[in-house]
Amino acid sequence: MPITLSRRGFTAGGIALAAAGFGTRPASAQQQRMVLGTYGGDTQRYIEDLIVKPILEPKGIATVIEAASDAPRRLKLQAERRLPRGTYDVVHNQAAILYQLYQDGLLDELDVSRIPAYDKILPVVKTGYAIPHTVTARAILYNPAHVSPAPSSYDDLWNPKYANKVGLINPHYNMALSSAALTSGGSMSNYEPGKAKLLELKKLGVQVYPSNEAFGQALQTGECWIGLMIQSRGIMWKRQGVPIEIAYAKEGVPMDWWGFGIPKNARNKDAAYEFINASLTVQAQTGWAAAMWSPPATSTGLDALDPQLSRLMELPEAFRGKLLDVDPAYIAKTDGANKEWWDRVFKA
Amino acid sequence: MSRKLRTGLTAAGLLGPALALTCLFLLVPLTILFWVSLNEGYPASDGAGPLSLAGYVKVIADPYYLDILLTTILMALGITALALFFALPIAHFLARSQSRFKSVFLLAVILPLFVGNAVRAIGWMIALGERGVFNTIVTGLGFGGPYKIIYTGTAVLIGAAAVNLPYMVLTLQSVLERISPAVEEASISLGATPFQTWRLVTLPLMALGLLAACTLSFILSMNAYATPVLLGGPRFRMMGPAISDEIIVKNNWSVGAVLAFILILVTLTLTIALNKALTRGIAAPAR
Repeated sequence: MPITLSRRGFTAGGIALAAAGFGTRPASAQQQRMVLGTYGGDTQRYIEDLIVKPILEPKGIATVIEAASDAPRRLKLQAERRLPRGTYDVVHNQAAILYQLYQDGLLDELDVSRIPAYDKILPVVKTGYAIPHTVTARAILYNPAHVSPAPSSYDDLWNPKYANKVGLINPHYNMALSSAALTSGGSMSNYEPGKAKLLELKKLGVQVYPSNEAFGQALQTGECWIGLMIQSRGIMWKRQGVPIEIAYAKEGVPMDWWGFGIPKNARNKDAAYEFINASLTVQAQTGWAAAMWSPPATSTGLDALDPQLSRLMELPEAFRGKLLDVDPAYIAKTDGANKEWWDRVFKA
Repeated sequence: MSRKLRTGLTAAGLLGPALALTCLFLLVPLTILFWVSLNEGYPASDGAGPLSLAGYVKVIADPYYLDILLTTILMALGITALALFFALPIAHFLARSQSRFKSVFLLAVILPLFVGNAVRAIGWMIALGERGVFNTIVTGLGFGGPYKIIYTGTAVLIGAAAVNLPYMVLTLQSVLERISPAVEEASISLGATPFQTWRLVTLPLMALGLLAACTLSFILSMNAYATPVLLGGPRFRMMGPAISDEIIVKNNWSVGAVLAFILILVTLTLTIALNKALTRGIAAPAR
């Protein structure tokens, strides 16, 4: 039998459907929603697998992940600074950028009474404005087939034998500058002596790669033999079959870290604290270490780490007393000028 | 209501929504961007300082930015010339083809447009790398190498010309389709060589289409972003990536805004100048 529907009947049906839709709203409102600004690729995948799915979803917190690199996230926070409600509830950035955001008044001072595991955070990466997520050491990656003996100093990158086979990475200009500074009388709070040193390297011949991935590919193909990178990437690439070994510099081993902060105009701060607490659980910290090869940022995470995994990431005995802190205040003060120098002088 | 008024109101009604959207999503953001460009040091200055053209003066007087602008203009001209070199024969072939596979050929030209610029650039990265397809073939054939192409201006030239090629081919092909083959045949029957026919008959008839294709390619190249970033590497500089770098990486919005307006002005000026020069050339009697 054909169904006939009058215009009035159609309108009434539409209203009824809309009302039914409204009726379902209270149920969906029980689920909280938060937005995390983080990196894409593996980082996003492991955050979903280790934090979002196993810990937050059972608590009724739906996490929307907005993936981008550090700089666009900072830009968005600044563009939205006057808005009462911003895009992000939690932002994931490098330590120096988190410091800058905090200095610019964009991040909340954390209420540590809401973070039970705050006391377990390693003192070297503990701040009042961000929760560390991963800590990793700076390393020299080299191809043992071409670089011999194994490098023991940042100065080994200046060996004329490796001219044109040394790789630096464009976004990591601060890593290049500070390493050059450490080997020429500078420090983690004074990169200036590194500039003249880097110009010597430029004269010898150096490749500047646009990304970590491009550098990894160059190591893989033999286009590049030696360069600077964080230890966790080195371990990952080595396990993926890139022909490299990992060495550390006698001048000191800077510790880079990444973490989470809560923007002042976050919409859902309760969910943001839930996320931060989930990231500090032993399960998330050790899971991350196993997936991304960077040591946990909490003492409880370190204690629970699989000994085999721990051995893979631990620094050789000789370098354990040579750990250096990155100075975020110095980077915040000099970053603009250093980037200008890198673009206009070094890369010219 | 008079008929004239009614027609006017209908036209206003039809144009109104598009005009409102343009104002809202183009003119308002451009006005804000212009305000940022007049606020030197923004966002660090927080817009507290006086509005001035000092940012423009500084950028124009800075050889670093002038070099980037010059590279951009030269690259846009080079990319347009290279794309035209390949587009002309393809468009001629498509326009004159009687093959039953003509629609397949046309689809082959359009297909790259289904894939984003960035994805195509990644394809070129693989093809032009030191161990890529090109170097493997060249080295295998005994022509030396491997040659450094990736992260150079040459790679950008190739990649961007490939991006612009479909637009040029489609524009030229649609113009050539409208030129009757009988006109060319008449020229040949009167004793002209094929090249003379092309130069004295086909070229003047397709000149406006040529102009449109070149303008499109030039504007696209002046504003290119993904291709220069991915294929040019860290040392190669064009305006699009430089604007992004100033705003996103260096956090220097005012300089980024100044560069954006300079790029808009230069692109508009050069497009108008090129159009005028070419139109004059078209209008001049062929000898």
